[in-house]
Amino acid sequence: MSKLENNGAILTVADLHAWYGESKALHGMNFHVKPGELVTLLGRNGAGKTTALRSIMGLVRRKSGAIRFADEELSHRPAEFIARRGIAYCPEERGIFASLSVGENLELPPVIATGGMPIDEIFALFPNLKRRWSSQGTKLSGGEQQMLAIARILRTGAKFLLLDEPTEGLAPVIVQQIAAVIQRLKEQGYTLLMVEQNFRFAAKLADRYCVVEHGRVVETFRRDELDAATHKIEVYLGV
Amino acid sequence: MHKNALQDDYIIEAEGLTKTFSGFSAVRNVNLKVRRHSIHALIGPNGAGKTTTFNLITKFLSPTAGCIRFNGEDITALRPADVALKGIIRSFQISAVFPRMTVGENVEIALQRPLGCSYHFWQSERSLGNLTERVDQLLDAVGLLGYRNRPAAGLSYGRKRALEIATTLALDPEMMLLDEPMSGLGHEDVERISELIRKVAAQRTILMVEHNLSVVAALSDNITVLAAGQVLSEGPYSVVSQDPRVVEAYIGSVDE
Amino acid sequence: MTDLLGVPPALLFGQLLVGLINGSFYAMMSLGVAIIFGMLRIGNFVHGAQYMLGAFGAWYLLRLPELLPGLGLPSLGYWWAFFIVPVVVGMIGALMERLFIRRVYDLEHAYGLLLTVGLAMVIEGLFNVAYGAAGQTYGVPDALKGGINLGFMFLPIYRAWVIGAALVICFGAWFVIERTKLGSYLRAATENPDLVRAFGINVPRMLMLTYAFGVGLAGLAGVMAAPIYQVSPQMGQSIIVTIFAVVVIGGMGSIFGAIVSGLMLGLIEGLTKVFYPEASTTVIFIIMTIVLVFRPAGLFGRETSSHTVADLSSGRVGSILENSRLWLLILAVIGAALPFVVYPIFGMKILCLALFACAYNLIFGYVGLLAFGHAAFYGSAAYVTAHAATAWGLPPEISIFLGICVSTMIGALFGWLAIRRQGLYFAMITLALAQIVYFYAVQSGWTHGEDGIQSVPRGRLFGFIDLNNSLNMYYVTLAVFLAGFAFVNRIVRSPFGRTLKSIRENEPRAISLGYHADRFKLIAFILSAMLSGVAGSMKAIIFQLASLADVFFMTSADVLLMTLIGGVGTMLGPVVGATIVAVLQREFASFGAWVVAMQGAIFVLCVLFLRKGVIGTLEEFLSNREERRHSALDEIKPMDRSPLSQTAEADAGGVR
Repeated sequence: MSKLENNGAILTVADLHAWYGESKALHGMNFHVKPGELVTLLGRNGAGKTTALRSIMGLVRRKSGAIRFADEELSHRPAEFIARRGIAYCPEERGIFASLSVGENLELPPVIATGGMPIDEIFALFPNLKRRWSSQGTKLSGGEQQMLAIARILRTGAKFLLLDEPTEGLAPVIVQQIAAVIQRLKEQGYTLLMVEQNFRFAAKLADRYCVVEHGRVVETFRRDELDAATHKIEVYLGV
Repeated sequence: MHKNALQDDYIIEAEGLTKTFSGFSAVRNVNLKVRRHSIHALIGPNGAGKTTTFNLITKFLSPTAGCIRFNGEDITALRPADVALKGIIRSFQISAVFPRMTVGENVEIALQRPLGCSYHFWQSERSLGNLTERVDQLLDAVGLLGYRNRPAAGLSYGRKRALEIATTLALDPEMMLLDEPMSGLGHEDVERISELIRKVAAQRTILMVEHNLSVVAALSDNITVLAAGQVLSEGPYSVVSQDPRVVEAYIGSVDE
Repeated sequence: MTDLLGVPPALLFGQLLVGLINGSFYAMMSLGVAIIFGMLRIGNFVHGAQYMLGAFGAWYLLRLPELLPGLGLPSLGYWWAFFIVPVVVGMIGALMERLFIRRVYDLEHAYGLLLTVGLAMVIEGLFNVAYGAAGQTYGVPDALKGGINLGFMFLPIYRAWVIGAALVICFGAWFVIERTKLGSYLRAATENPDLVRAFGINVPRMLMLTYAFGVGLAGLAGVMAAPIYQVSPQMGQSIIVTIFAVVVIGGMGSIFGAIVSGLMLGLIEGLTKVFYPEASTTVIFIIMTIVLVFRPAGLFGRETSSHTVADLSSGRVGSILENSRLWLLILAVIGAALPFVVYPIFGMKILCLALFACAYNLIFGYVGLLAFGHAAFYGSAAYVTAHAATAWGLPPEISIFLGICVSTMIGALFGWLAIRRQGLYFAMITLALAQIVYFYAVQSGWTHGEDGIQSVPRGRLFGFIDLNNSLNMYYVTLAVFLAGFAFVNRIVRSPFGRTLKSIRENEPRAISLGYHADRFKLIAFILSAMLSGVAGSMKAIIFQLASLADVFFMTSADVLLMTLIGGVGTMLGPVVGATIVAVLQREFASFGAWVVAMQGAIFVLCVLFLRKGVIGTLEEFLSNREERRHSALDEIKPMDRSPLSQTAEADAGGVR
């Protein structure tokens, strides 16, 4: 088990267990994320990656273990508290609100800290959103929805982003666009924890990879270990 | 191939299958033909429309356009239970067992249906006669015989999937649709379930949605690749895996 | 001026005005219910009581000097009430949310409905104790007295004000929700509360304020209603079921739909009063039925993905408490001895209620559908049996048979209309359908209105058992009860019952195995209606009475309470629950008017603390004990092991 005092980690997850109803989804998960780092959780469907993100965000009610963020224990805090500590979450299903326009969706999350991305910069990053400002949220294409979902959490000033499968179901050209955006966020100093099944996509971006199986992290690789570990990872992922 | 499949004997033919959810097309103009007595895999990145296609074929969703034929008969207008009665039994992505029933009862529920007494509210359960032998056979086939009297909820994930297959087999379906049979399994379990699928595929047609490419490569005779709701490529693994569009859509772009 | 469509214009416009007034109140009230349902997923049955609180609030303010003498408080008139009362009622609402409603958000919808039913009973019961059935009058404020002669009709200014104010308030609320930032939070939280929380918005507080707002609207409607209707404890009860129907017609959770259908249905009701007065009380429910057939999601509602039924059952297979043969024997022995311990008539009451609860448990416990209109089956069977025995002089067995036939047919019709819906929708639809039967009984000649059918002859069963002998009557009832009890258990333990169980546990899977789930549910619903009819028919013969109370929705609530107290989906639960409720009702009878409030309190306590019921809790205790014994025997507990170690074990076990 990793110790809580991980040198310099901004987020430390230690011995995290989580349940959905009767079924247990996390079985003692351990990992940490350092400031400015991009860590990717890899693993098959149902391995517990999404549950890990949801637990960090305070969206899983039944859980035990430690979630330490910027020297503060968050595992017993409600989601709205955690959000105000500077963690933002972009869910797998994107969570675009159907009854809200694109503009309303974008402006929905309250600003929780200074230093959020100004709206002009967001438009520069995602020009489509400006054009579709007043359309209904769900009338967007899959790629536009994903962009909106990411753009939405950049405005708020949160510097720690949880991205759940940002490339799911998107055309390759859009995937590349999203990769470019994530690269830029990294350069701007954001810390990212990402769940991704598109291994090639993740391989280009992440600093470290945690392989998740049966609700725990079974192996961790640094970027420079990747070539040697590719085969192993492919076995884990079943690619 | 180990199957003696006729080249043009199709059990399922879907034409122009389209499903639109409030303006968003999840599946667009998909044509899918599945050869009798083959294992056919439906693959593609998450959100490509695989599960939607599945739901359309089993009528858990109604297509916005298109038609589906099973053994030459148009089944587009049928209800999901009727599709099942025709001999197409599906599984679900999240394990579909009856959690508060025992493992044996799970199988019995399926065995009971062809007996035609399911509406008999005036009869005792004992009127079902002795299903025990058949239950034992089926459970033995999937390696669950020792769990007969345990509640299904307490099984491990892999065993739940095995139970699901036993329940499906109990109906002796002409066609089985498996929705991500390997999802959530560790690689030890994958081998077992693969073996099981290969075993039950004799004299049956199997259509499966699967994420695990090595499983698909090893099991399937034919593969349809979906991306963004459309058919991207089709053919045996050797062909599909070389298709550059598939490589890009499924595994990600290769340029570094 | 000439008649319009054969009706004098003064009458037509007069009724249209009344319709518009009613419609204004419907709109304001259903707006609140729709907002609360949309946001909180709670069917706020206590809305009527909160409306009544508003009216009483206005009346209290007027009488402040009398109520709190010696403080030198002034009497505060209409305009004070208009601004103070909604805030106060809203605050009471916030408190109720905090104390009670918040606790059931994560539970099945059934519990939210039960809780608010209980709260409504408590509030209305208490006011009933204090003020009785008599209404208090509340004057029209001076500024709005008088009227305008429009030539074709006389328009009282206060009524014009009510219509205008209601429209402004409704569309103001609609604007806030659809067009403002606050509204965007609300709409977003309706769709995905978790995500909105993850953005840093305090959703629980927002839900509390939303509830308070919806309740405040009801309070305001109450203030505005005070000068028009009489201020009475019953005023909310008579409107709430209609409001639910309006919300179903508009589309549950659709705010615009609630406003428009509220106004529209008020008008239609007014028109019906002119052209076909007999139907005026039922027209809204009939429209609801028609709408449901053609647009199940309501006029403005979006089709929601069908969620599966609720599995609330707490019975445990193989438990000693579920051994039907053993308990049939025990109940037969207890039943045979009962008339020597209590009055036979009281024993028969218990048996009747227990049979009714067993029938109800079939649909609520074993199918998982929250039916809220079983009074219709019970009451209609009682009326038909009573009528057949009294007016036609038929022997009891034929009368009972006819009663059962009618309740079965009504059950088939209701079931056909409602079965595709689940949860709260199912409850509201069955409630509204049952209300049609109720109003029919109120108006029809042969049911004798408020009096009911009295002095029903018991007669001779099969020509030779004289039921006027109370012991004969008792043992016949016992036999019917035991047969019904055994029949329900047979159904549950039949191939059919087993299929029902599989549908309850995993409906999509059952369908994928080739079971037409809706057909199974419908058959179970009809069987439940039929058995409820048996209980109702027996009741008419035993008590020689069929009355409005039998078809009133409180009867539906009672049977639900019995099942809940005893233990939903358990074999003995309904019997135990019926006994408890019957005893409580007898004991409370000495408290007179307090009964309703006390029963409501039991409802609330049950939902909060005894959700599994007596038998369910006992079952849990037994099962825990058994588990402890088992785990003492095995060293290892297989349930606690992780899948990883389990699969490892499987590998080690050498799977071929």
